[in-house]
Amino acid sequence: MAIQTLLGALNEALHSEMERDDRVVVLGEDVGKVGGVFRVTEGLQAKFGEERVIDTPLAENGIIGAAIGMALYGLRPVPEIQFVDFIYPAFDQIVSELAKFRYRSGGQYPAPVVVRTPYGGGIKGGHYHSQSPEAFFVHTAGLQVVIPSTPADAKGLLTSAIRGEDPVIFLEPKRLYRTLKGEVPDGEHLVPIGQARVVREGNDLTLIGYGAMMQECLDAAERAVKEGIDVELIDLRTLMPFDWKAIQASVVKTGRIVIVHEAPRTCGFGAEIAALVAERAILHLEAPVRRVAGFDTPFPYTLEKLYMPDAPRVLDAIRETAAF
Amino acid sequence: MSMREITYRDALNEALHEEMARDPSVLVLGEEVALYEGAYKVTRGLLARFGERRVKDTPIAEEVIAGSAIGAAMGGLRPVAEMMTWNFAILAFDQIINHAAKIRYMFGGRVKLPLVIRGPQGGGKQLAAQHSQSVETWLAHCPGLKVVCPSSPADAKGLLVTAIRDDDPVMFLEHEILYNAKGNVPEGEIAVPFGQAAIVHQGSDVTIITYSLMTLKALKAAEELERDGIHAEVIDLRTLVPLDMEAVLASVRKTNRALVVQEGWPVCGMASEIAARIQEDAFDDLDAPVRRLTGKPVPMPYNRILEAQAVPQVPDIVAEVRRLAA
Repeated sequence: MAIQTLLGALNEALHSEMERDDRVVVLGEDVGKVGGVFRVTEGLQAKFGEERVIDTPLAENGIIGAAIGMALYGLRPVPEIQFVDFIYPAFDQIVSELAKFRYRSGGQYPAPVVVRTPYGGGIKGGHYHSQSPEAFFVHTAGLQVVIPSTPADAKGLLTSAIRGEDPVIFLEPKRLYRTLKGEVPDGEHLVPIGQARVVREGNDLTLIGYGAMMQECLDAAERAVKEGIDVELIDLRTLMPFDWKAIQASVVKTGRIVIVHEAPRTCGFGAEIAALVAERAILHLEAPVRRVAGFDTPFPYTLEKLYMPDAPRVLDAIRETAAF
Repeated sequence: MSMREITYRDALNEALHEEMARDPSVLVLGEEVALYEGAYKVTRGLLARFGERRVKDTPIAEEVIAGSAIGAAMGGLRPVAEMMTWNFAILAFDQIINHAAKIRYMFGGRVKLPLVIRGPQGGGKQLAAQHSQSVETWLAHCPGLKVVCPSSPADAKGLLVTAIRDDDPVMFLEHEILYNAKGNVPEGEIAVPFGQAAIVHQGSDVTIITYSLMTLKALKAAEELERDGIHAEVIDLRTLVPLDMEAVLASVRKTNRALVVQEGWPVCGMASEIAARIQEDAFDDLDAPVRRLTGKPVPMPYNRILEAQAVPQVPDIVAEVRRLAA
């Protein structure tokens, strides 16, 4: 085990996978010479050359379109979209092409593309550098959606994503890139896609989060436990496929759920969890499933701290749900 | 007000004619909307009556259609942009999500964006994975957009009039299957307000919440269930943003059972949002799980039989309601 930043863990996964499999290629804006705007791809071009680490024009549709073509040809491209807020010019390539190729070709052409991209607020980036659009991709049939919250998971999930046969939207919590450090297993480390992690076991209430919000959830859970509410904390890690069994097992035990995300509330992932639980496990519920989410407004620049759920807001929801 | 029966297509066409006659700042643009009068003939007669300056054929470039409409709206006009289908509007999603939805907010409310983007969506015509999608969930998840899904000719006309007069960007989603559907539409000016659902079938046993084409299927299901003595209340949401949850909750408090039906993909869909809100705000009123009946999470199949299986059909709705009522 070594202590690493989340960013360092991602960089390590890219280095190891490129070394292991020469079909893995990286492409994107400034990923080569500069090593990426956040330096996630640092050192790759020096080590693997310009043929496998490609600086592209500022053209997201082109980046994803080229990656799809490479994947159909047998490569394993890992394109980077500099900020997920810029992914919309490539939305057509992603939902109309990437998500559908395997299905449309009757399984003849899997499209193993991993689209890596930083998401989320907390860096005073305003509304073009702070969005959390995971629900767009979770809603789209044919895509996997992964969001790590720790350095170890960042390495393990990115490795699994690159080795998978299906397209993955890999969302990286950019505000944790350098601020979060943790133990990362040395050598090969794989975290399976579709398995949540029970971060803390508890009996009174299930708190569900993912990505950058896990830091707020950890903080809120700790405070709630001090108040006598025995919180079970779950990190979903992958939103599609998501680990319904882990959620169900926890609901059956606690009967109370709070789900946290920074994306807007309407049609966010919290809506799906609430709907699923209301559909499949309502008899176990002691209280309505409570959503703590971003607001249904564009991401604000000055009101960023108010917009994003924080530990006190999560704690309020925990208290109210526990007392329902 | 006297009524006559016209198609959904003609109702939309009437709304465009009337609003363009009423307000010279209204203009129409899109692929083949002028000379050819629209791929689905919704813009019939507009070029002849209002001329090339107000009815514009554009290149096949959805991003440009949306982008220039946004610019026109910022400049004080009231553009109505047609997307040949919403499937192609996905190419304009950056303009819609990052610009149309955010401009009013970015300028602290000092710039209005009276823009309508309209076009057909949905499946049922064997047009396969890239021409049969339902996009409303993506749009509803993007704050700053209003989302409208009419199911009848009267609502198509009345909601389009309201959309054109609205000062915010309105995403107007017509269903491809409904263009030839006929219904009673009042003569003369009608405006259907946003945020008001319609109870299209009264009932006391189960509430079916739906919109667009699925409203017609839910109505057929309700009639069939009526024969078995099961009284389903059918709510047509009409607009998804703003969403009339008061109407939904009032009905659920009466029936204590809810089924949400939508054509599109399930995960994080509109049905998920509605189910989530019902369990949040009517938890103690529920006598059964909130059920969702949605399209399957697959790209839309081309094969006719598979396509029919990929979206909810009348017998599926009937079966779900029976299960819920029991």
